[in-house]
Amino acid sequence: MSCQHERRIICAGNRYVPQDDIGPRVFDCLSRRDLPADVCVIDGGLMGLDLLRFVEGARRVVFVDALQGFAPPDLTVVLGHRAALEERPAAYGHDGGLACLLRMLPAVCGEALPEIALVGSEPPAGEDLIEKLADLSLRIAMGAVVQETRS
Amino acid sequence: MTHATTLRFPMNRVEGDLEIEAEIAGGLVADAWCSGTMFRGFEQILAGRGALDGLVITPRICGICGTAHLTAASRALDGAAGVEVPDNGLRLRNTALMIEHLQSDMRHAFLMFMADFAGPAYLQHPLHEEAVRRYTPFSGETTIETVHETKKVLEIVAIVGGQWPHSSYMVPGGVVSVPSESDLIQCFHLLARYRRWYEKRVLGCELERWDAIRSAADLDVWLEEKNEHRQSEVGFYLRFARQAGLDAIGKGHGNFLSYGALDLPRQTKVKPVIEGDMRLVPAGFARGAAIEAFDHEKITEHVAHSWFEDPGGARHPLDGSTSPYASGREGDKYSWAKAPRYDGAPAETGPLAEMIVARRPLFLDLLRKAGPTVLVRELARLTRPALLAPVVETWLREMSDDGDGFYNRPGEIVEGVGIGLTHAARGALGHWVKIQDRKIVHYQIITPTAWHASPRDDNGIRGVIEEALVGTPVKDASNPIEIGHVIRSFDPCLVCTVHSVSKHGSRTLIRL
Repeated sequence: MSCQHERRIICAGNRYVPQDDIGPRVFDCLSRRDLPADVCVIDGGLMGLDLLRFVEGARRVVFVDALQGFAPPDLTVVLGHRAALEERPAAYGHDGGLACLLRMLPAVCGEALPEIALVGSEPPAGEDLIEKLADLSLRIAMGAVVQETRS
Repeated sequence: MTHATTLRFPMNRVEGDLEIEAEIAGGLVADAWCSGTMFRGFEQILAGRGALDGLVITPRICGICGTAHLTAASRALDGAAGVEVPDNGLRLRNTALMIEHLQSDMRHAFLMFMADFAGPAYLQHPLHEEAVRRYTPFSGETTIETVHETKKVLEIVAIVGGQWPHSSYMVPGGVVSVPSESDLIQCFHLLARYRRWYEKRVLGCELERWDAIRSAADLDVWLEEKNEHRQSEVGFYLRFARQAGLDAIGKGHGNFLSYGALDLPRQTKVKPVIEGDMRLVPAGFARGAAIEAFDHEKITEHVAHSWFEDPGGARHPLDGSTSPYASGREGDKYSWAKAPRYDGAPAETGPLAEMIVARRPLFLDLLRKAGPTVLVRELARLTRPALLAPVVETWLREMSDDGDGFYNRPGEIVEGVGIGLTHAARGALGHWVKIQDRKIVHYQIITPTAWHASPRDDNGIRGVIEEALVGTPVKDASNPIEIGHVIRSFDPCLVCTVHSVSKHGSRTLIRL
């Protein structure tokens, strides 16, 4: 179903694969909290391009996913709007997931493109890190200025 | 003496991890090995869980085929429970599955398969410039339109499923989401929009005109009949693919398998394709164009060349196991995929197999004249929506008119055996489950890609993609685009394994 909230946190990944479960665990963590009224959290799973419908109509979207190659495990990584959209796979594929979605967003959304941020960490992630990622994604969704962190 | 070169490359744009090793001699692929490089383990995850847990866990195997896995899991539990699904339950399940096909067929064709036409390998092709305009990844005109239209049509699954993503509306006995009249009207509009786009952009003609094509000669007449046909995606595909030689590569074993899918409701205006087979996609096994009746008992899995413990020869999925075993015979074992076989033979599944088993005249004629080439295989996928879309319309209408229910309560499943056979967009998908004392004691899954990307079997016979690659000419070993076409024509999807965002440039891949 579509989402009417202006601020959205979309958690991507596969909860049954340890190397890819950061997004779903952050989703679980946020689902246990009382969230501000204009924020919704979405379990984006492996939906990749199909998550477009949750991006449209939003003012700010924070994606949460397992990241690879940005920083060692245990560190949080935040990419702001421009940097997130610069993550460029060469082509769309079954394995493209979030990277393909980010690459496609400007062409598909045009002027309606919301403010985007990407939050994540290299797996494996302990519970403390999951809590930290949940805090971070919520703060950014609520409008905190994105302080980019990456190695 | 012919000099042989061995190429090893990761196969991107497929689901999960697939690696192909091809030996090239004299400019041709002399041999090939297809290797799944990651253990999935969903069968182990399911063992010991509650009887119904397959409904929640298996759709998460794949981000693209979630509805197909949900369908297979539900059908397996229908069987275990001994419950019949009422007509509207069938219609709604079928509608969701067919919408997944409508989306997947177009995304594969334009975002993955034809993206290669816009690449540097075809700089000298006379239609390259037009291919760049249409299919350049992330910006081509057709690419962007496809994303818009396939996103829109998928809303039907969200409406009929009552939840999306991770819908769990299919259950043993039917569905638990009953669409309202306004839901169905909304679905009609979404489907009508897709159909208009498909007719105008993809076919360049109405579905009825396409349906009148019965032979290769008819296809040529259609292509030259109007400029709209030549400029349509199908028309452009035929012109480009013929000049690129895709009508001569990728033939393989020539065996075709369909489990059968999309059960017809007892009361429906949709007629069976084959008399006596009450499914929209009939079941069968074909050696060439010789079609035999399908018998699920003839399905076996071989592991002689897979990193799994050998239970003592090929086994039916209800008797087999999935125990990782990666020591001792690494020289022979080279894949985390098993080798499924039908009556001992490897078999292609997917849209072309469905067309052959259903005795569709155009595809039988193309098969007789040219064999199961890359061109024919992709044409089957590109034109399957022409068969499905009108049936979805009919079933949406019948759902509105028919007072029959959506769900029959099955009662608790304490013990039972279930076989859930259906078709994902890529082909035959099966779930086999045994339940004892309310718990799953055995679960086996064979995906379409397991059929296609299988390694050699106990008898050393190559898998489907391995065989289809043999004889493929390779003009440039540093960019073996021909190998990419053959592999992608099967739309391999080695399950959703790891989907992390990689830092740009952190991996070196040979892009096909």
